[in-house]
Amino acid sequence: MQAWWNEFSADFYQNFIAEMRYMDLLNGLKTTLIITIFSVLLGFIIGFLVSIVRSTYDKTGRLKILNFICNIYLTIIRGTPVVLQLLITYFVIFASVRIDKTFAAVLAFGINSGAYVAEIFRSGIMSVDNGQMEAGRSLGLSYNTTMWSIIMPQALKNVLPALGNEVIVLLKETAVAGYIAISDLTKAADVIRSRTYEPFFPLIGVAIIYLIMVMGLTKCVSILERRLRESDMR
Amino acid sequence: MKKLLSLVLVLCLCAGIFVGCSGPKKVEKIDDLKGATIGVQLGTTGDIYASDYEKDGSKIERYNKGADAIQALKQGKIDCVIIDSEPAKAFVAKNDDLKILEEPFALEEYAIAVSKDKKELTNQINEALKTLKENGTLDSIIKNYIGDDTKGKTPYVSPEGIVRDGKLVMATNAAFEPYEYIQNSKIVGIDADMAQAVADILGKELVIEDMEFDSIIAAVQSGKADIGVAGMTVTEERLKNIDFTDSYTTATQVIIVKK
Repeated sequence: MQAWWNEFSADFYQNFIAEMRYMDLLNGLKTTLIITIFSVLLGFIIGFLVSIVRSTYDKTGRLKILNFICNIYLTIIRGTPVVLQLLITYFVIFASVRIDKTFAAVLAFGINSGAYVAEIFRSGIMSVDNGQMEAGRSLGLSYNTTMWSIIMPQALKNVLPALGNEVIVLLKETAVAGYIAISDLTKAADVIRSRTYEPFFPLIGVAIIYLIMVMGLTKCVSILERRLRESDMR
Repeated sequence: MKKLLSLVLVLCLCAGIFVGCSGPKKVEKIDDLKGATIGVQLGTTGDIYASDYEKDGSKIERYNKGADAIQALKQGKIDCVIIDSEPAKAFVAKNDDLKILEEPFALEEYAIAVSKDKKELTNQINEALKTLKENGTLDSIIKNYIGDDTKGKTPYVSPEGIVRDGKLVMATNAAFEPYEYIQNSKIVGIDADMAQAVADILGKELVIEDMEFDSIIAAVQSGKADIGVAGMTVTEERLKNIDFTDSYTTATQVIIVKK
């Protein structure tokens, strides 16, 4: 038992403490969080705009050309792996530019996430009863006002679990950022692994860090959901 | 709508902070590595040497493949690439806009990695390597891939009538011409031929598994592969975790830059 413990602590020291390896992990964590946060923001903005276009077309038949463009965007993004989109962004689209890799990753993941968020938002908007729109319009509100202050709040509440899920998926998806030599959390584990040749500690350690982040996010989403439900239980 | 617009604006501003962090730096000699953005393949000796420059303000970009680092160099995303000399020559031959700096970076010896639990296999391979060196097979394998006038003239052919009993699984990273690379969807190269010759002497069937370079040692350690052959240099750190056979060839680390 003593021998096992000694080996365990020596390995632990070698993989996390020696040569300030924990700083690799911390920097990786920072990069992962930066990429995730900004791509979530970008994804929500793109997704929101696309879903407005798509549901306006579905409901009223306007914005035909924009809807067509949005459809192409959705098909392409949802039809190709995110790793390829990342590589294409970095090596093809920004081929001749000395671009910051984190920025390229934010763009790639944001645009990717936007496609999924768009469909989530759209399903939320479509799930709100048509009578709500009719009621709003018959009260003399314009289409935009009805959409913004009657349909959207209800839609948002409906899709919140799905949105939280999308954030979680995105957080984990950023693990492929290492493909373009970004030192994110997963890459930090790879770097440590390539120095110590011990797969156990870096991989399991990083897995636990991801797990903790995802559990935290899940908790936040459930708190938010409960808050939004308060008005239902009067 | 105004909220949305301001959000977009904030995002653009943050994006602006990301871009334009480090400008290009011209690397013409080893001293210029300080402060430069250096591309390497993760876990290679080039990576280990380059990492020493991190404290001098250099930025190290660790790609999964040497070819990805070269790609980034061609597009001006990094200033130079540190990599083994022979793959470097292969890369430069295919890319007119790249050149190798004349100053060699470091001299090193390639060997086969074997698990510490398999001392017997290490001894057998050492014996086999000795035979191959003495009868000139190793030389002709290397000449078949390196040297303009000898290239492709002496391909290795397994002798006939070998009784094969069991498998010899070799872990490699097939993106390292001329040591191992994929041609006509087969893994070929000096290491592949040399391993084949060793397997022929040991009377085993050679199975080659292609994986990321930094996974090779872990694969050999855990027994998923018997040997790791990937232009691997013997280093102190690696010796702590794995045994190496005698070296089968030497190589140098060089710096590739844009012309």
